[in-house]
Amino acid sequence: MKNLILVTSVVLLSTISLAAQQYITKNGRISFYSDGPLEKIEAHNSQVNSALNTETGAIVFKVLMKSFIFEKALMQEHFNENYVESDKYPNSTLKGKVTNVNEIDFEKEGAHEATIEGDLTIHGITKKVKEKGTFTVSKNSIHGKSTFLVKLDDYDISIPGAVNGKIAEEIEITVDIKLKPYKN
Amino acid sequence: MKNWLKVFALAAIVGTIAIAYMWFFVYNKPHKNIEEANPDYVISAANCYNHYSQGKNTKEKNYTGKVLQITGETTSVESHDSTAIVVFAFNTGMFGDEGIRCTMLPSYKDIVLKLKYNESITVKGYCAGYNETDVILEQCSIITNNN
Repeated sequence: MKNLILVTSVVLLSTISLAAQQYITKNGRISFYSDGPLEKIEAHNSQVNSALNTETGAIVFKVLMKSFIFEKALMQEHFNENYVESDKYPNSTLKGKVTNVNEIDFEKEGAHEATIEGDLTIHGITKKVKEKGTFTVSKNSIHGKSTFLVKLDDYDISIPGAVNGKIAEEIEITVDIKLKPYKN
Repeated sequence: MKNWLKVFALAAIVGTIAIAYMWFFVYNKPHKNIEEANPDYVISAANCYNHYSQGKNTKEKNYTGKVLQITGETTSVESHDSTAIVVFAFNTGMFGDEGIRCTMLPSYKDIVLKLKYNESITVKGYCAGYNETDVILEQCSIITNNN
């Protein structure tokens, strides 16, 4: 009988912890910003897919490039047609791991520093990245935030001769996601 | 007036007009007003989702980048600061519900937050494409509330 209770509680506990392992969102936000000598460029995307497994630290992001909204229509056109060629490469992804997942207590409310390592794919080119961010744990969600730089050249995004040198070579990416437990 | 002066004055006027034209209509041209635009395609939400999820979005019939007017039954409405997203779900996958997700224009936020589950509505927006889980529509407005 004792064994049965033990087994039952272990099974029940593991189901509970399994259920809480996966956190997801589909309305995460990514924005980017660059302040070059000629142009200040800013765009926002509010439909970012992301999933985090708090047990293994596996994390993924997926973003549709045409969902970036710019202040200027011409910039949005250039971004989609000339820079990231979003008809050819519609999505950008990050597939990686929270490397210090063992040091983060996702049950404990408050902010936790995190390091994410993984493969970032933009414009069909995949590069290894290592970035820092924070996870703020609250009662029913995990709020992830990170800001990092991406060099356009690394992803084969070429700036046309006419504006070369006038647009910043690096852009600042800001990630802001509110992950909720995944209920199957 | 001397001839060279006439030419110079004409060149200056033409130049100013050209610069003004470039500034207002090329460099600062406004975004296409999706709310006022005529839809390129009028379809049901289910057909739109199936079109993408079944890989039928080809060059010949490509909804991406077009203005779509879709009708369906809402399964949920998400809100986040000034944005609201209306969801028409048809499937379940690794990120949860899958279907069509419409980012509403800020002026429609209060209206969509009052929508009921399974309420039939018609939404118009710019189709940003398919991210392999959902079809994303941006700058959406509500055309009619069919209930």
